Amino acid sequence: MNRTVLIIGIIIVAAIVFVLFAGLGKDPQHIDSPLVGKPAPPFALKAVNTGETIDLESLRGKPVIVNFWATWCVPCYEEHPTLVANARQLPDVQFVGVVFNDTEDKINRFLAERGSAYPTLLDANGKTAIAYGVGGVPETYFINRAGTIVAKYEGPMSTEILQENLAKALR
Amino acid sequence: MTATFGRFLILASVLVSTTGAFIAYAAGAKRSPEGLKWSQRFAYAFAGLMVIATGVMEYALITHDFSVQYVAHVGSTQVPLWVTIVSLWSSLEGSILFWGFILGIYIAATTWVNRNQHQEYMPFAIGTWLSCGAFFSFLIAGPANPFLSVIPAPLEGPGPNPLLQNHLLMIIHPPMLYLGYVGMTIPFGFAAAALLRGRLGQSFLRPLRASLLLPWVFLTIAIMLGGWWAYEVLGWGGYWAWDPVENASLLPWLTATAALHSAIVMERRGVLKGWTVTLIQASFLLTILGTFMTRSGVFNSVHSFTQSAIGPTILIFLTAVLLFSVILLALRIDSLEAEGRIESAVSREGMFLVNNLFFVVFTFTVLVGTVFPLVVEAVKGKQMSVGRPYFDAMVVPVGTALLFLLGVGPALPWGKTSRKEMLRVLLPPLITGAVVLIIGYVLGVRSAWTLVTLLFGGYAAHVTLAQMWLPLRQRLKKGDAFAPALIDAQLRRGRRRFGGYVVHAGAVIVFVAIAVSSTMRTQQEVTLTRGQSTTFAGYTVTFTGTEERTEPHRQSTIAHFNISKPGGPSGGGTSGGGGGGTLITTMEPRMNQYAAMREPIGTPAVYSTIGRDYYLSIMNLQGDQAGILIINMPMVGWIWGAVLLMGAGGLIALIPARKRTYVVVPESAPTIDDEAIA
Repeated sequence: MNRTVLIIGIIIVAAIVFVLFAGLGKDPQHIDSPLVGKPAPPFALKAVNTGETIDLESLRGKPVIVNFWATWCVPCYEEHPTLVANARQLPDVQFVGVVFNDTEDKINRFLAERGSAYPTLLDANGKTAIAYGVGGVPETYFINRAGTIVAKYEGPMSTEILQENLAKALR
Repeated sequence: MTATFGRFLILASVLVSTTGAFIAYAAGAKRSPEGLKWSQRFAYAFAGLMVIATGVMEYALITHDFSVQYVAHVGSTQVPLWVTIVSLWSSLEGSILFWGFILGIYIAATTWVNRNQHQEYMPFAIGTWLSCGAFFSFLIAGPANPFLSVIPAPLEGPGPNPLLQNHLLMIIHPPMLYLGYVGMTIPFGFAAAALLRGRLGQSFLRPLRASLLLPWVFLTIAIMLGGWWAYEVLGWGGYWAWDPVENASLLPWLTATAALHSAIVMERRGVLKGWTVTLIQASFLLTILGTFMTRSGVFNSVHSFTQSAIGPTILIFLTAVLLFSVILLALRIDSLEAEGRIESAVSREGMFLVNNLFFVVFTFTVLVGTVFPLVVEAVKGKQMSVGRPYFDAMVVPVGTALLFLLGVGPALPWGKTSRKEMLRVLLPPLITGAVVLIIGYVLGVRSAWTLVTLLFGGYAAHVTLAQMWLPLRQRLKKGDAFAPALIDAQLRRGRRRFGGYVVHAGAVIVFVAIAVSSTMRTQQEVTLTRGQSTTFAGYTVTFTGTEERTEPHRQSTIAHFNISKPGGPSGGGTSGGGGGGTLITTMEPRMNQYAAMREPIGTPAVYSTIGRDYYLSIMNLQGDQAGILIINMPMVGWIWGAVLLMGAGGLIALIPARKRTYVVVPESAPTIDDEAIA
């Protein structure tokens, strides 16, 4: 029995196994947003469907759900009905859609076909998406009454996921 | 019905492989020839079951039998036949079945080839292979069962992962990789057999080395195909991103390459036995680690097999094999006694040692960089990623050192050498190195690392070519006729040696091409309105318009560009004119939006010539405007060709000698010709 080989070997095995087991069950796609717990970056953008300009500052005092999406994004198609239904049920919560990398007529066609229940803003040069560090669409930020981001969700949301994250904003 | 039959086959293979493994180990322990016969039969039976099970799955796929769960997940009547056939490895469960299929074939073929040889080791080897077979059968029977039934059967399925459908390279890359990965099981079994037996005789070195070289060839090609695919499809203009899964394929390649080299020293000098066995075991373990990386969903990568239940199972297997290997090594490494010793550090064998050291450093560097984010998250709970700068900074010096050895090592003779002799062999290649360096400088190379690479590359090319044709030159000197000398010295007697130097020649080109293509690339981002053109790196690019195309699995926007040699008044800078000059080609980069993917995927267009690639990728498309990235990359195409050359060299070295007798080489006075036999 070569003790040196055994001891070094066991140490290497233990280290590798520990690290890999610790990594199990974590989603590597998920990135904690540094913005969680910080004030939401301000924006004032024109709504495609209503024409009015929405300023995030003016929504202070209400929980806000900011949903980044685009018409070329297939998961956004899946998520859209959930957002519309929840927006209709929750009049006290302000839903805001922000669209980037897209054109106004495509957005209008999308909303005409699939319905809308809240203002959809066009982020023409993508500045707002950059300010929020959006990695892909759909991506949703939950802002509490004080204007602080309390949660972020990547990918299409179900009603349960939406409610769960919204609860943090209502606290 | 099909699903039930499939499940029966898999359960049978669990039974057969487990029983076979027990019988084989018992036969090894008792040195029973009858037991060996039986374990061989079980090995063939396992292979048979795996082949039939895979056939059943292919049948279900081709007949669109959606009552089989895997077919319901990846099948579709809307996709072409070839997509249906390759769907076998497009998703998790099918790919594990495919693994079992290849493992079965490897085990049966190796058992058959060695049916009357190496009786001392074969039972332990078969036992180890069948143990691995048992694990994969269990995986197929349980956590990753593709043969579950779906009741009622759906009428249509979604079709396989869209990324698999977007390039033909995806048909051959996965099977190549599997042939490489799975094949590492065979040398692992041989190495375990040597350890269990407590000796590693000269005659056993040949099957050990051959079994390592074959998967090495496949892995070499597979790694290149993966890089080529990334380059042609992903649109960021590179072929290697140090993605965890790319690293996963590189790691066993590095240790296997090291083992192939240390095995030569083992053969010639009777030393480094325990070390070579350790490297072979590490190669197999790293393939299992790689499988874990791709299949567990723990690492973030382009190979997004989503979170799956098989992660923990593979990890338990990895742990078991790690412990098995470590304990076996600790128990037996001292009994693999060294028969010879290394006489001088500055010698061929000394350089082999340094080579091995660098390969191991390389492996650790890549392994640490890949696993480090997990370590940080486990210890500190913070997320981080290790990117390009780390890998480049660490790997470039090690790679350059390996290139240096690639030149100096083969130039040095075995054993002790006089100072005069050393200068005689080491100095002349310097001239070739200097010439290549100067040519590079004149052509505009200014990066210090690339210049060093050119110097070492020229040196290594000189040594490689001289060594490659040495047997032929010796024969000609003796007065032999050219043609018979060529065939006998290079292709018959000296085949293994010749193949080895062909691999080296390919490697030299790869080193130089990587250095040149990464440091000499130039790029430009421009936004063009329809009809507008720009001139970059000798070509005029004119944006002629876009086109929308809808296919069942994706929506694409295709941009059209004319590429012409600038000429006339409109050349130079961005202009509104038609571009002018002579039209060379048209290029059509595209943006694809696949169903169920969050972001669109760009597919670049590449115009390749011998000297360089002209690469066009879309950054964004808005109405009449196209934002594009143009990259001019010299020598990229050389990488693909040179890696194929490496694979060809490996195959040349693999062709077995006609006579299977082993010639014992007197250790004292090796000449070139006995190296050819070795």
